[in-house]
Formats: sequence, structure tokens, C-alpha cells
Amino acid sequence: MFWLKSMGIALVIAGCGGGGLIGARRIEKRVEQLQAMRQAMGYLEKEITYLQTPLPLALEHTARMAASPLPCLFAGCAHTLSRRQGISAEEAWQEALIRLKAQADLQPDDLQILATAASQLGSSGIEQQKQYFVLLQEQLKIQEEKARGQVASERKLWSYGGFILGTTVVLFLL
Amino acid sequence: MGFDNQVRILDAIIDYLAPQIGRLLKTIPPPHLDGLEEIRLRVGQPLLLNMGQQEYALSRQGALVKELRQAYRVQADDLYKTILSISDNSLYAFEEEIRRGYITIPGGHRVGLAGQVVMENEQIKTVKDFSSLSFRIARQMKGCSQPLLEHIYRRQPCPLSTLIISAPRCGKTTLLRDLARNIADGSPAGPACTVSVIDERSELAGSYRGKAQMDVGCRTDVLDGCPKALGMMMAIRALGPQVIVTDEIGRQEDMEALLECSNAGVAVIASLHARDLEEARRRPLIRQLLETGVFQTMITLSRRRGPGTLEEIVRWD
Repeated sequence: MFWLKSMGIALVIAGCGGGGLIGARRIEKRVEQLQAMRQAMGYLEKEITYLQTPLPLALEHTARMAASPLPCLFAGCAHTLSRRQGISAEEAWQEALIRLKAQADLQPDDLQILATAASQLGSSGIEQQKQYFVLLQEQLKIQEEKARGQVASERKLWSYGGFILGTTVVLFLL
Repeated sequence: MGFDNQVRILDAIIDYLAPQIGRLLKTIPPPHLDGLEEIRLRVGQPLLLNMGQQEYALSRQGALVKELRQAYRVQADDLYKTILSISDNSLYAFEEEIRRGYITIPGGHRVGLAGQVVMENEQIKTVKDFSSLSFRIARQMKGCSQPLLEHIYRRQPCPLSTLIISAPRCGKTTLLRDLARNIADGSPAGPACTVSVIDERSELAGSYRGKAQMDVGCRTDVLDGCPKALGMMMAIRALGPQVIVTDEIGRQEDMEALLECSNAGVAVIASLHARDLEEARRRPLIRQLLETGVFQTMITLSRRRGPGTLEEIVRWD
């Protein structure tokens, strides 16, 4: 009976603690993903404004260099565009963004920035594209800084909070 | 035009049209579209197809009709989606082409653009708010220059400089393309020569991303999108051509480059917009050019019996 109780206590604490650690990791991953997104956007900007690579190919190249899980956004959009079914870059981007949402740790306001950016993708001259990418990268940088602030303030809360919650639950049950 | 070839051309073009227009075109049996030269999309106007001398509208059911009331009217969204498609959703990559007023798609087909022209420093900066598009279907008529080769070679080891004159849509470009191919590959009329094609408007070789989509011969170098005068000088310096082929001469700098070619011993085969020699001579620059004796042969074309009808050959021996 004692062993069973001990096992239960361990499971509750480990479960809650694990959940907290996962939460803390998600906050950290958001920062990494925002940083990777900013870098990928910088790469895409060079492909578009300097090399003038057609958008589907530029997205494909960006997918190859982007860190996981971002390739699903760029490659998904490139794939939809290369099928040539009258789908605009904006529609293809929004479609791929839904897939990214399921895989990434980005928050709704991060995704919103990416969603509103879609209307400009490829649909203007080089100078306008340059301005648009500068603005987009600035917005992502602000999000990244906000996310870093969140890591500093919330990581410990999540990491320890899970174990504390587990222990509290055990104490109540006992 | 073979059935398979017709289907291939149509499939290539349909991929670049808005889905709704593509669906309508797909309902027409390909043999009915034999001789299709142009597809014209104008916002709010009937969708028109030019086939030889005939013009048809495409009905809402996807049939060829003469009555414009039955025609499918092009929507702004159709034009927008077609523009996105021909530019690969990458308008930034086609700034120069948009400035020039056309985009070439794979297969060498040219899409003419019309809309609001934006000027900067008395130069065209771009075209925006597109209002109409004209798909001009490129066709290769292999062998169409065969009867002219003996007049151009005249038993010489290299072709003589030749000017091809005609009004628009009479087959000048098709003839030039086939001449380039025949001269570069060699023919019974004369040996093969090294050819440089200066293709300012991507029409002759129909290049797409730098690669010629038309067969312009195995000894041909193509300077795609290059201004004619600059291209002729570049070719002489770098490519060592025996023959230069170029389309639609007419500017002062073209005349100077043509004289340079002549002095460098390079034959030039060029075309010019004019109904006939008399009309061409009314243009002071052309008159001066003809007086210099740069060209030894002149060929006039018309559409009297279809595009490419040979009207006159003048030899200035």
C-alpha cells in the first residue's frame, strides 16, 4: 500500500512538474522560433530584392535554410504556388500559416503579424518589397524582445510552478 | 499546325490564365482554336480571340461566338489572377518587363500589358492598375524562310545583309526566327554561320529566364532583353558572329550600330515596321540608312494570303 501511495505521489508531482517544464520550454521555443523567422525573412528579402528570384523558388530556397518548424510555412506556400491553380501568394501564405500554427509555439499576435504581411508578398516592385521586409523584420524583432521578457519573467514560474502545483495536489490528497 | 502541338500551346497558355478563363478555353476542342494568334482580356469587356483575320468572342458557356452580347465579360479578378500567374506572384522580378509593357511566359508567348503608366524623370517607371492583357501566341513555322535563303545567300559563303519590311502581324518575327535557325544550322542554300540574335523584346528566341524557348539554331547566341544597338556592339566584341539577327530597328543608335556591323564585316538581318519600301523611305533615318548601302536585300511581307505573304524582294547588288 505504501509503495502504491509513493508511486501515486511521484506520478502526480512528475506529471505536474513535467507539464510546467514543457510550458517553460514552449516559452523559450517561441523566442527561438521568432528569431529563426526573422532570419528566414531576411534571407527571403535577399532572394527577392537582390537576386530577384521568382517567389515560389525564393520560398523554396528559404524553406531549405529555415530552422524547424518554419520550413512547413515556406515550403507549403511554395508548393501551393507552383501548382498554378490561380491561387495568389496571399492565399497560399495564409493556407501554409494554418499548418505552421499547428506545429509552432508562436502566439496569436506573432501569427497575426505574419498573416497581415501576406498581402504584400511579391505583389509590388523591389523598393516596396524592401520596405515591407524591413518593416516585417522590425515587427518580428519587437515580438522577439517581448518574448524574451516573457522568458525572463515566466520561465521560473512555469519550471518550479509545475512541481509546486504537484506537491500541493499531493498534500491536499493526503 | 499539328493537333498535338496545338494542344501543347494551349495547355501552356491556359496555365497562365485566371482559372475561370482557363476553364472556358478548355471546353473548346483544340482544332477549333487552330490559327489562334491572340487572346485579349480587357476588364469589363468581352473576352476576344483573334484567329487569323477572324475575331471571335468566348461565350459564358465556352463556345466561340461572333455575337458580343453572348460573350463572357472579363472580371477585374480574372485580370488580377492572370497578372499574378504570368509574373509567378513575383511582380518585383518583372519590373523591367513591366516597364517595357510585356512579360514573356514559357513557350515564348508574349503578354502585352496595359494600365496606368507611372512616369519618373520623363521615363516610364512602371505600369500599375492593369486594365487589359493581350496574349500573343508565339509559333515556330520551321521552313518558312526556305524559299528566301537563295536570295539572302546568293551563292556566297555567308548571307548578305537583309532588311525585312512589313506592317505588324505579317510574320516578320517568325521569318527572322526561321532565318536565324536555317543560317545557324546550315541549309542547301549556304553553309552554316555563327549567328547572334539580339532579342530586345524576347520575341525572336522567346527566352524565358535566359533560355531560348524557340529553336534558333545550334550556332546561335542569344542576347535576351538587350537593347539592339548595345547588343550588336556586344556581340561583335564578344561573340564573333558572322550574322546578327535583330527585330524592329528604327532608332538613331540602331543606325549607328548597323553601320558598325557593316564596317566590321558582319551581315545583319533585321526587320522594320512599314507597309512597303516607299513608306519606309519616308522616315528620314531609314532613308539615310538605306543610302549607306548597309543592306543588300530587302524583303516585303504582307497578310494578303495569310501572315508571311511574300510581296517583294529587292536586290541592291
